[in-house]
Amino acid sequence: MNQADVSKLMSRLKIKYSPVKRKLKNSEGPVGRAKKIQKTLTALIKHERIELNFNRADETRGYVERLISDAIRYGDCHRATMELADYWLLEKQLVHKLFKVLVPRFENCPVSYTRMYRAPRPCPGNHFERAVLELRGNPYPSLLPDTISNRNLIHNVLLDEAHKEYRAQKYAEIARKLEAADENVAKSSGDSDGPESSGLETPEEIKASTEAQVASEVQPSACYEGHGRGGSEESRGGTAAGNPSERAGLPLGAILSRASKRRVSQHR
Amino acid sequence: MIFNQLKKMALPNAARKLLLGVKSSFSLFQTTANAEYRYLSSVSNPKGLLSLEKEEENKVAGHKNVVPLECRFVYPEFLPDPRLDHRNSLREKLERMDMMNRRNHIDIPEFYVGSVLAVSSSNPHAPEKVTRFVGICIQRGGCGLRAFFIIRNVVDHQGVEMFYEMYSPVIQKIEVLRLEKRLDNELLYLRDALPEYSTFPLDMEPEYLPEGSAIPVNPIKVKLKPRPWLERWERQELKGVQDLGLPKRFYERAAAVAKPWEKYDLMAEYRESIPAEEQEEIFAEVYSQLHQLEVTRKIMKRKRTFVKPKKMG
Repeated sequence: MNQADVSKLMSRLKIKYSPVKRKLKNSEGPVGRAKKIQKTLTALIKHERIELNFNRADETRGYVERLISDAIRYGDCHRATMELADYWLLEKQLVHKLFKVLVPRFENCPVSYTRMYRAPRPCPGNHFERAVLELRGNPYPSLLPDTISNRNLIHNVLLDEAHKEYRAQKYAEIARKLEAADENVAKSSGDSDGPESSGLETPEEIKASTEAQVASEVQPSACYEGHGRGGSEESRGGTAAGNPSERAGLPLGAILSRASKRRVSQHR
Repeated sequence: MIFNQLKKMALPNAARKLLLGVKSSFSLFQTTANAEYRYLSSVSNPKGLLSLEKEEENKVAGHKNVVPLECRFVYPEFLPDPRLDHRNSLREKLERMDMMNRRNHIDIPEFYVGSVLAVSSSNPHAPEKVTRFVGICIQRGGCGLRAFFIIRNVVDHQGVEMFYEMYSPVIQKIEVLRLEKRLDNELLYLRDALPEYSTFPLDMEPEYLPEGSAIPVNPIKVKLKPRPWLERWERQELKGVQDLGLPKRFYERAAAVAKPWEKYDLMAEYRESIPAEEQEEIFAEVYSQLHQLEVTRKIMKRKRTFVKPKKMG
């Protein structure tokens, strides 16, 4: 029943956020809450990967995303954005990092700028839930297990077989087309010595086009940065390929292109 | 969201490959990398907020390519309630359809807080079944069909405020007698101001602005009556009031009670607002019709103000 406050334009958040803010209980009240978030935000921008309690991580995640999206939208010559960066980042060289390093990194990023994982709780004891909060494109090795290199894992075995089957199908198709083209060429040369009819392709053209098609569908295209197994945007079901040709909805080429994309991105 | 829908559609192979293979480098939320815009501090929204798909859709449908984001000031009630608990996309769509239907029947003009309006509403107890009230708009709020505004006037030395719902069928006519803005978003302090600042003649003539001019901002500073007041005006950052002239302790207490960190609370301001991409989506639905109504209104206004010259003698 309240009108939205439209005095400032802001970009849509690409993460889930709760409708109610957490108090982050502390002795100073709301002032202390702001200070806690300042410290966590500064640490995240500085180290690019931090491990901390879940609630604090979840709360600051929204602030980090908002700050980076504002920096991207308005740039560093906008007074209000500079004041915000100055307030939230306690170390002033990080203001420079935000505008000069993080903004170009995340300018064209269609997904969230941060990732949050649940971390194991220290055992024994009744401790708070832990989380790891990191910026995408950080220099550290990925936290997720490598499911690509070991080709003996069952999903990789199945995918490799699906690959082979797909290539076999495609080559069979090429062979059929070549045979058809050869017949046509033989017929036309037998009938007349005139110019070739426009509708038929030469065998070389067919071969080149189908090779290109197969190569492009199977080769990975340029990735922004590793999506990894935890990517929420991609369907989990894609990795478990049963009989690929029977999979409802997606063609074989799509599954394989996705799988090979993941392979390349994990190596980066 | 759009991405998933497109994935399920039966697309040609080339388009499919584009979606599946180039997902990471294909920006759904394209922000401009144009360095020029960064250095213009007055430019608040960079060009190219619409995604590639939307632009194509717009071009194909024949609508305007870019929906002006100034709609959010002229038609603020089209934006939904920012509270997540109160969001329902279906209800909002239906509400917008009903709002457009109502606007097709009655002209709801553009006005702001500080404009002087004359509202004619049906009243079964009035002799002519119509009540006309003139006053200054002191507050505007609500969203969807529950959008409201409050207008204030002083009649026979008695301050009177009328609360109207913009889309109520009871309202027959809304005329803007003076279109202007003030320095504040809400003029509730007029209740504690001297009566002359809230008095407007009931037979006021409409004042016309030159076409295409910007909305004038009235920089008037209102003088308040002596305390007691309805609210602690010294604790609010009011720009449209003269110096309150209170003892120092009031200002000291205001400073002690103030919450300066709220100004920087990024998530709080996000939760109270609608993001730009969503605003574009919403106004893209209704903009063409609203623009059509605006054009019709301008034509009617020109027809009305044109007076045929009469022969002398």
